[in-house]
Amino acid sequence: MSELIAYLIVGIATGSIYALAAIGFTLVWQTSQTINFAQGEFVMLPAILVLLAVKLLGVPIPVALLLGAVAFVLLFGVGFKRFVVDPMLPHGVLPLAIATMALAIIMKEGAKDGFSAEAQSFPSPFPSDAIQILGTAISLQFVMTIVVAFATIAALQWFVTRTRTGRQMQASAQNPTVARILGIPVERMVMLTFVINAALAALASFLISPIYLAKFSNGETIGLFAFIAAIVGGFNQVRGALLGGILVGIFDSLAAAYVSTSYRLAVPLALLVVIILVKPEGLLGRKEERHV
Amino acid sequence: MNAVAGNAVLEVSGLEKHFGGIKAVRGVSFSVRKGEILGIIGPNGCGKSTLFNCILGQLAPSAGTVRLNGEDVTGLRPSDLNRRGVGRTFQLLQVFPDLTVRENLVLAGQEHHGTMMGRLFGPRDAGLSDAADRMIGFFKLDHLADAKAGGLSYGQQKLLDAAMAFMGGPQIVLLDEPAGGVNLTMLASLKDRLRAMNDELGATFVVIEHNMEFVMSLCTRVIVLAEGKVLAEGTPAEVRADPAVMEAYLGH
Repeated sequence: MSELIAYLIVGIATGSIYALAAIGFTLVWQTSQTINFAQGEFVMLPAILVLLAVKLLGVPIPVALLLGAVAFVLLFGVGFKRFVVDPMLPHGVLPLAIATMALAIIMKEGAKDGFSAEAQSFPSPFPSDAIQILGTAISLQFVMTIVVAFATIAALQWFVTRTRTGRQMQASAQNPTVARILGIPVERMVMLTFVINAALAALASFLISPIYLAKFSNGETIGLFAFIAAIVGGFNQVRGALLGGILVGIFDSLAAAYVSTSYRLAVPLALLVVIILVKPEGLLGRKEERHV
Repeated sequence: MNAVAGNAVLEVSGLEKHFGGIKAVRGVSFSVRKGEILGIIGPNGCGKSTLFNCILGQLAPSAGTVRLNGEDVTGLRPSDLNRRGVGRTFQLLQVFPDLTVRENLVLAGQEHHGTMMGRLFGPRDAGLSDAADRMIGFFKLDHLADAKAGGLSYGQQKLLDAAMAFMGGPQIVLLDEPAGGVNLTMLASLKDRLRAMNDELGATFVVIEHNMEFVMSLCTRVIVLAEGKVLAEGTPAEVRADPAVMEAYLGH
């Protein structure tokens, strides 16, 4: 029993990290029909940038975290929008999706060649002392990961639904033509979603790398899980991506514990298949129609 | 027509729009007085939509001018026209489906600039909550105020759409086929509300419409377009009796 509770909490912790990536994924989809197949690499790279900053500049960890996050948001928030999405989107959703696949390969190989092919340990911002939850010893690291991820998602939800800027962002996603006529700065709102996506990815990176180590190939699994989480939850909902992320995290954790570590990737995929068959719009999603 | 130019809210003169060799709008002039409901009708392909798009800044006219309260606004962007008090509805719905009815109205009435801090931490309704609630009451959407717009019936969305166009106290509202696809019951209440908007609040608007009955019973004055030109103009009764109009509508 206590073992199960431990696996569940670890599942929720990793799941909340997948949720961060999945939420960013759905945000950029909603505002600019970008399916970012490099999302996993977006979560892999910030940790590598931090380690690079430590290695090359010799700065202390907190400074390196800040530098890594800022550099990543500039390059893969603003830069990604300006130099990948803007030139590709006029040619359609598919060319853009393929461009993000190419970007994923460049990021992955770049991290391997420019930094290291080996997994590197990444400092945890939280103590690893164990605390007792329902009679089970749990590392504080997992608990704090859940707290930070949930607080971030709550703040984001507040921003999107309770501020004028957030409403303008929603309006830009739901009906850009009319939003533009009402005088909403749609382009700026779209850029904002890319910046938020990059910031969420950086946070996810800093939370997951202490658990899984920082490695160039981390993006493959994370990207797949974020993608599954987004679809399972409903591609057009922040709450949906959160629920999807948690479910995928729990399935992954339980599968690794009780099924087999070699089949753990297959279990979230099975969840995806079931959802697509039973409720294709996702658990909390809204049916989308497109007029062509 | 120029006799009324003094109190004209909207004045269109000599408007032309050419697409390559095709002249979609060929020298259309008219003006809309304060408190008037002007209908623009005409058979398919007569240039109604192109005319509307030129007035609203969606298309740049090839020639001619558009004046709002005497000021030249030709070729301004749609968002600038909106800021100057030109409200509009769309043939296809313009609501934001995942926002509530009230949120839609607040968004439609808001000025969308200001500082980042103001937009983050300032009052998100910008004092428009009351105005939104008045509009909700006026269009009889009270029971739906907190419902998501996407969940409303098509007719209810059309009502919301019209209500949004009147937020922020526009000088004039241009309605693009408001009756399209709306069932008869909703149509009656839409007409009733638009008329009340005019009677009670003195709202001025222009309606483009296919539905002859709707236009004839709602508008105070009607313009008939055919082949990009004004074919007839007058009260609904005068226009209905015009043989040229019968010709254009009923066949060659």
